[in-house]
Amino acid sequence: MSDIIRRDPRAEWIMRNRLHPLHEQYASQEEGGEVRGPSGLIRKFPHKVGFIGPNGIKRIDRLKGNATAPKGKRSAAAQEVQLPLHKVDSPDYYIMVVADMVGGRLTGHDKDILGLAHKLIAEQGGNGAVVAVCFGEVKEEHFDTAGVDRVLHIEGEAFEGYAPEARVQALAKVEAQYTVKHWLFPDSIHGGCDLASRLAARLGERPATQAWQVNAEQTVSRGASASLDITRQTPKILMLLEECADAIDETRHEATPMSLDDVSVAAATIKDKGLMAVDPNAIPMAEAEFILSAGNGIHNWDQFHEAAQVLGATEGASRVAVDDGFMPRSRQVGATGTWVTARVYVAVGISGAIQHMQGIGQVDKVVAINTDAGCDMVKRAALSVIGDSEEILAELMKLVAEHKQTSLSDQAEENSNAA
Amino acid sequence: MPHKVISLISVGRHPQSGRSRRADQDSRAVELGLKLAGTGLDVVHAGNSEEPVLRQYAGMGLPKVTVLEQAESADALPALSNYLKAEKADIVLTGVRSESGESSGMTPYLLAEQLGWPIVARVADIVEIKDGEAQVLLALPRGQRRQVTVKLPFIASIDNAAQAARQSAYGPGLRAKMAAQTGSTEEDNVRVNWSEAPAKARPKRLKVVKAKTAADRFKAATAKPQGGSGKVMKNESAQEKAQAIFDLLIEEKVIR
Amino acid sequence: MVIDWLPSILIVVLLLLGVIGMLRRASLWRAGQPEKVNIIAGLMAMPGRYLKDLHHVVERDKYMSKTHVATGGGFVLSMVLVLVVHVFKVQQQIVAWALLGALLLMLVGAFFVFKRRLNPPERLSKGPWMRLPKSLITFAVTFIVLTLPAAGILPEGTGGIALIMVLSIGVIIGLGELLFGMGWGGPMKHAFAGALHLAFHRRPERFGGGRSTGLKPVDLTSAVIGVAKPSDFKWNQLLGFDACVQCGKCQAMCPAFAAGQPLNPKKLIQDMVVGLAGGTDANYAGSPYPGKEVGQAKGNPNEIITAGLVSQETLWSCTTCRACVEECPMMIEHVDAIVDMRRFLTMEKGETPNKGSEVLENIIATDNPGGYAPGSRTNWAADQNLPVMKDKKEVDVLFWVSDGAFDMRSQRILRAFVKLMKAANVDVAILGDEERDSGDVARRLGDDATFQSLAKRNLATLGQYKFNKIVTTDPHAYHCLRNEYADFDKDGALAGVEVLHHTTFLNQLVQSGALKLDAFKGGKVTYHDPCYLGRYNGEYEAPRDLLRSLGIEIAEMERSGFRSRCCGGGGGAPITDIPGERRIADMRMEDASATGAELVAVGCQQCTAMLEGVVEPRPQVKDISEILVDQLIEEVH
Repeated sequence: MSDIIRRDPRAEWIMRNRLHPLHEQYASQEEGGEVRGPSGLIRKFPHKVGFIGPNGIKRIDRLKGNATAPKGKRSAAAQEVQLPLHKVDSPDYYIMVVADMVGGRLTGHDKDILGLAHKLIAEQGGNGAVVAVCFGEVKEEHFDTAGVDRVLHIEGEAFEGYAPEARVQALAKVEAQYTVKHWLFPDSIHGGCDLASRLAARLGERPATQAWQVNAEQTVSRGASASLDITRQTPKILMLLEECADAIDETRHEATPMSLDDVSVAAATIKDKGLMAVDPNAIPMAEAEFILSAGNGIHNWDQFHEAAQVLGATEGASRVAVDDGFMPRSRQVGATGTWVTARVYVAVGISGAIQHMQGIGQVDKVVAINTDAGCDMVKRAALSVIGDSEEILAELMKLVAEHKQTSLSDQAEENSNAA
Repeated sequence: MPHKVISLISVGRHPQSGRSRRADQDSRAVELGLKLAGTGLDVVHAGNSEEPVLRQYAGMGLPKVTVLEQAESADALPALSNYLKAEKADIVLTGVRSESGESSGMTPYLLAEQLGWPIVARVADIVEIKDGEAQVLLALPRGQRRQVTVKLPFIASIDNAAQAARQSAYGPGLRAKMAAQTGSTEEDNVRVNWSEAPAKARPKRLKVVKAKTAADRFKAATAKPQGGSGKVMKNESAQEKAQAIFDLLIEEKVIR
Repeated sequence: MVIDWLPSILIVVLLLLGVIGMLRRASLWRAGQPEKVNIIAGLMAMPGRYLKDLHHVVERDKYMSKTHVATGGGFVLSMVLVLVVHVFKVQQQIVAWALLGALLLMLVGAFFVFKRRLNPPERLSKGPWMRLPKSLITFAVTFIVLTLPAAGILPEGTGGIALIMVLSIGVIIGLGELLFGMGWGGPMKHAFAGALHLAFHRRPERFGGGRSTGLKPVDLTSAVIGVAKPSDFKWNQLLGFDACVQCGKCQAMCPAFAAGQPLNPKKLIQDMVVGLAGGTDANYAGSPYPGKEVGQAKGNPNEIITAGLVSQETLWSCTTCRACVEECPMMIEHVDAIVDMRRFLTMEKGETPNKGSEVLENIIATDNPGGYAPGSRTNWAADQNLPVMKDKKEVDVLFWVSDGAFDMRSQRILRAFVKLMKAANVDVAILGDEERDSGDVARRLGDDATFQSLAKRNLATLGQYKFNKIVTTDPHAYHCLRNEYADFDKDGALAGVEVLHHTTFLNQLVQSGALKLDAFKGGKVTYHDPCYLGRYNGEYEAPRDLLRSLGIEIAEMERSGFRSRCCGGGGGAPITDIPGERRIADMRMEDASATGAELVAVGCQQCTAMLEGVVEPRPQVKDISEILVDQLIEEVH
């Protein structure tokens, strides 16, 4: 074959004639919008380049999707660039943030509150410092970038586990030892609300609960099961809702340790006997965070129950599965059953009757396993796999079993390292 | 010796209609009280004895409801703490937060502080009472439970995870006796200075992109919008499909 | 000679014993609660009711109706003449011949009863009932022989003492069953109790072609609300239970029984009889409650019914479809009794099963069973441009939306109906957020307090506005508005207002030419009669007329019209959800599939929901308004 690039007049003619029956076929051959020009040069066909962005405006990505690759490098470099350090020397007052520290790390909620603490200091003026008060085991490594000027870590066996009585005594001692302007707590079910209420009762302060708009003078908090906004003077003790302020992200802080002089506490009247092992199926469906739900498309029920057990998921069911007697009525999800709030809902063989869809309205991520690609559940799902549920569940169980093996050995490793 | 159990009840508010109802957690406190003390349970309300909602509580099978008669603006604490002291209660059950008023959830804590009793919060169940100690299950998020023991007398606030309240029957509720006592007259002076308004919807926090470079800004502008229909896998092998699901489960941290 | 007098003495003795038994039986009924009844008028009307209304029902089974006329008529006539001939010794041959005629008539009837009992269908009770034809024949034969001398066919004194002894035994057997048994609880009790039941029926409106289906309000101030013990029933309800002939027609029609749920209307009524008389159900010889053994139940007039006589699941299995009442030749009111007992369970014990308590609590707190915000009731109509009564004040047609407003499936029906009304230029408005649940579910679940409160508040709202008609797409709300609200309508909010179901109303529009419709081109169509439209309100024709007006030839199901089978959605049954062997909706869908129809036309959102809940493949389910709207010829302006 000769190397001479030859024009194909017929192809050019078809390309020009949009009404030609073969036009689509030829046009689609021109991949990436590249056309051989009349002189044999490769030319861009501008109508075929780019895509429609989220605002409906056409965008051309000249990096061809490679923009992310260098970005990783750059941001890595950017992280090396030190954020400006916010220093507080010999503060006049402190704002105490008693963090939840779920799993020993600051939660998003905690970080929001640290952000709010800085906002309060900025508004009030004066030389104030934000203190993170934490109990028990602490794994957090980034107190500095979360806006913590001082860390008050109260350690001791008495404060481990569930020890609200010991903790509140310690907090009362903090109040006595330091000049505390505000006590900020997350209004959460992880213990923040409980501890705050105890401290408020102990100190005789009237706290603001479910506060969500706070400045130095005024606090807006929710009341009457979140149907009322109460506006009042900002009190000393605040229990704050999530997203009450933005977390700190542009400064670095000292995170200098502080100490409490006296950590002795009276004997507890409440004794922690530890967590109970809870069977995922004993968790009320409305509360469960991970539900594996079965519908009419399930034929191997033993396998389904096994899968739920392996995945550690709470079992759910569609109305039909319940009516057919495969699942108890209490497991029914939907308008006439339970309205679930799970984060992940795996619907196996459920086509998605309208009543069922109503029941999963609050679910974050729906995964559909179904044989019918056109069903409503697939339309709702974030991820749908079309195929035989039995086969897919079997594969999934295999993967999870492997994963558990490796994570177990990881843990063992970690433990031996710690030792 | 049977223990003296007292359940404190308040007027609830239906989340959809805003109408008065028996409060969810309070009625669970009554249910738990009935489980512990049977008909020996004393149910106490500080407020108006004419309140129709009290009949809904009574419909759970209470022959009598004790009402500490007082105005709505009065502080319930002194009356309640006097009553609890006088009655020598062993276990006091309340809701975590009331459904009307300030909903601060402070009542049980303040009572505990005044009486010098321990308080356990967010109780799912009281399993056993033995040798002056109660074995209590606390409700943790997502259905988890913690077991603690606590010395009598104590105050427990009851979580929504506790046994749901039994149905309220109209007839017994209608016939129950409202035993009124004088409550407190102390006004809540702090609250007078507050302003109250119907709750405004809270804006949802948007993902703020603090872009430093043009490439970042570009990415933020062109990122595929969230939502719409999800990913559909049709022709891949079962293994690949399972892997995709597995990845999502790991990403969502429901498999650890 | 004394021996000659023996049969006559026996007749008198048995007659007296029978009367004593009857008086005793009557005293059992009087243990019930007082209820005002016009005794004289009732007794006067009784023969007419028997001959017309009762036979109208029996007539559905031609064999049995003729048999019963012969046997029953023959017996009554011959009994009277027996007294004349054999007790008062009227010596006229013509009377004796008349007696012979009557006895022969009865003998023929008894023979056919005997024939039916040779191989009785499952629904019939056995036990003492198997003996009845033999007793009837013995009676007839004995008195024929006894009368032959009086008629002059045989000479006086034929056969001597031996024959008289034999005949006396015959008299004892025959009259023992027919007179003594009538008073002392034998099968013949039905004749005596049945006659009085017809005379003192609690719903006299039902006679003469009338219809009375609304539940009676309960007295909320009484010491015990609802029926706890058999003696808490009204006395004429107890009488009604006693009238049962155990023919089992109710059992054959009951959807819950067919689905294997623990309900059998016949057994329930018989258990009530056990309750009013005291004792156990050991002698019951019919079909049991599915899944429950016979012989365990015991009770007496002053014992709580659910503590041993009838289980709670039995009471909650009922869908209140009224198929049993419609079918009962004795016009016994099963549904009234069941709801009366449910009232006790709900309002006194607080034991509404499964989702029942949640639904009731929702209704109390939000005026709708789903617990939705009352302010979102009109959300479905955001794009419908429907005027609201609050602004209009006066309108021709008030559209009662019902709780379908909250259900996405039912909203399709509502929208279709609104479109049809707009096409016909109807002057229509809705109550909007002022509307509340009609109270149907609350009432059927036994919570009459909530029903009454809803009814009063709804009536107060309706009373503020002027309208000529109320139209609703929900037969349950239709029934409440039309038949049950009147008891609480003190200010006459609904006086002079025509309450219509949407199919009736649409039919009027089509007949008057206000709606122009194309012919239907789809496949075969069948129609499912909703219980609350058909049996409760007698509307069988309007929906069919509408379908016919589209050129549809309806493929009728085997059970249709007044014999339509329930979808399983009534009476709160989907809420209380008593397990059975199968689902009622599945059975109904099988009925529909059997016609080969591709589309089931329905006139009720609840039926739509229930039938659509059946797993595919199955015929499509559509409300009639949805079918019509597809064929609507829209005029272009």
